[in-house]
Amino acid sequence: MTNLPPPGEGAQPPPGGGARPPANDTTVGPLPNPTANPTIDTRNERLGDGVNRCPKCGSTEIQLRPSVGMLVCLFCRHEWAEARLDETISNGDLTTLSGTTMGSGAANIDTGAGSLITMKCAGCGAEVVVNTAEQMGARCHWCRHVLTVNEQVANGAVPDAVLPFAITHDAAMEKIREFAGKRRTFADRAFVNGFKPENVVGVYMPYMVVDGNVSADVVGSGEVETRRYTRGSGDDEETFYDADVYQVQRHVDFTVDDLTIEASSERGQMNSALNTNNVINTILPFDTENAVKWNASYLTGFTSEKRDQDVDKMSPLLENQLLSIARSQVASSIGQYDRGVRWERERVQVHGTRWVAMYLPVWLYSHFQERDGKSMVHYIAVNGRTGEVMGSVPVSTGRLLAAALTVGTVIEGIVIAMLGASR
Amino acid sequence: MIAMLLSEHASGALVAASSSGPTWLLILGPAGAGGLYFALWNYYRNTSKSHSFESETRIEAKPVTGQDTKVNEIKDTKRSGIDGANGTAHRTRVQRLDP
Repeated sequence: MTNLPPPGEGAQPPPGGGARPPANDTTVGPLPNPTANPTIDTRNERLGDGVNRCPKCGSTEIQLRPSVGMLVCLFCRHEWAEARLDETISNGDLTTLSGTTMGSGAANIDTGAGSLITMKCAGCGAEVVVNTAEQMGARCHWCRHVLTVNEQVANGAVPDAVLPFAITHDAAMEKIREFAGKRRTFADRAFVNGFKPENVVGVYMPYMVVDGNVSADVVGSGEVETRRYTRGSGDDEETFYDADVYQVQRHVDFTVDDLTIEASSERGQMNSALNTNNVINTILPFDTENAVKWNASYLTGFTSEKRDQDVDKMSPLLENQLLSIARSQVASSIGQYDRGVRWERERVQVHGTRWVAMYLPVWLYSHFQERDGKSMVHYIAVNGRTGEVMGSVPVSTGRLLAAALTVGTVIEGIVIAMLGASR
Repeated sequence: MIAMLLSEHASGALVAASSSGPTWLLILGPAGAGGLYFALWNYYRNTSKSHSFESETRIEAKPVTGQDTKVNEIKDTKRSGIDGANGTAHRTRVQRLDP
């Protein structure tokens, strides 16, 4: 990032040696190639729907061992892991990314495809139904084999990759206990009395992880103070300012690597008056570079939420975030405007994107609150990889008001005493 | 916790009040009460929190380029800053130019 020279009189040459065209030039950067919209095949062809056995002993009793991030066979204790997705999709040079590329697990959802999948048990021939909106496997009720959904289906339930839990249930419980413990005094009594951190649930949430090759322009006004002076005296004294006004244009080319966006329409709705989804958003980011190829056995013992958003629907949100990133990137170049900058117009040119659907691990503790006919679910969320925790604890309005009024009264008493003493 | 939050809000209010005359000190009580209420409420509810994707995502940016052109001068204004400043409000969207 260059330090732009201080603004002076008249037009200034483009900072950075004029290597870049001005902001209103629309021929910036490589144009997207309309024919380059490939799909990257991320299917795990070693696995299919139904019975998937331990490669060593043939058991279907397989689950994740979070402390080591490996799948473990509960019969022979053999441990193994799927290959990292990065070995399939190489990041490459993101500045050459063009068009829209997506993993086969991020393909558009067939609106006619339901959540229920019926699998034939390879052990006994029984038919077992799995509701992929909540889970990706089931136990055959006849022969007890575990059946898992591994083939990419059109309902969006099977992503390109999964990032396994690394934080254990006990560790998550402890983090939630600590978080809520610090917020106990003014918490709603129903929350305090019903607090049971052992009820925390491990959920694989659907996200799109996006790489992008982007250019952005912003145009606005900036002001530099040239003089400050006062008029009048005493209570009538007023400060006045003189300033120079500049038209400010900035252009930045950048790439983003693994920008993570909610792929569930419900979780993507962040309205703090209606829900507490923002706390789940706050525990991002994840170490998505360590995500592995899909294997539903990673989800055994956990619940999951199915993706219901397509790339097309998420593109406006992506552009919104890219513009925010662009504005953040140019912020260091407007420091000379000591009276501030008002951006008035902005533009983002997305030269290329790569979308990968991913299940990311979140420990969720929830508390349902109903008050005055309004209901809200308060979450405390723990990042299943980093352990970052954020939550919403419902407050006891009465306790909070009592504390505020007490403190306000004490302050007011001190002020009155001080004023009395000074007369 | 309360003491910390209180001292933060009270000290700010004190400075404001002492510079504007002793009568204004009377506002410290209600301001302290209101400040404590909202500070505690935010501490519990965290409604303003969200993922800082602008800084927590891997971003490789080329040097920023652009132009600065003086277009006007302002004299004798009482405004201490530009009207509608949004240089740090990265998530506030403005008019979109066509790509």
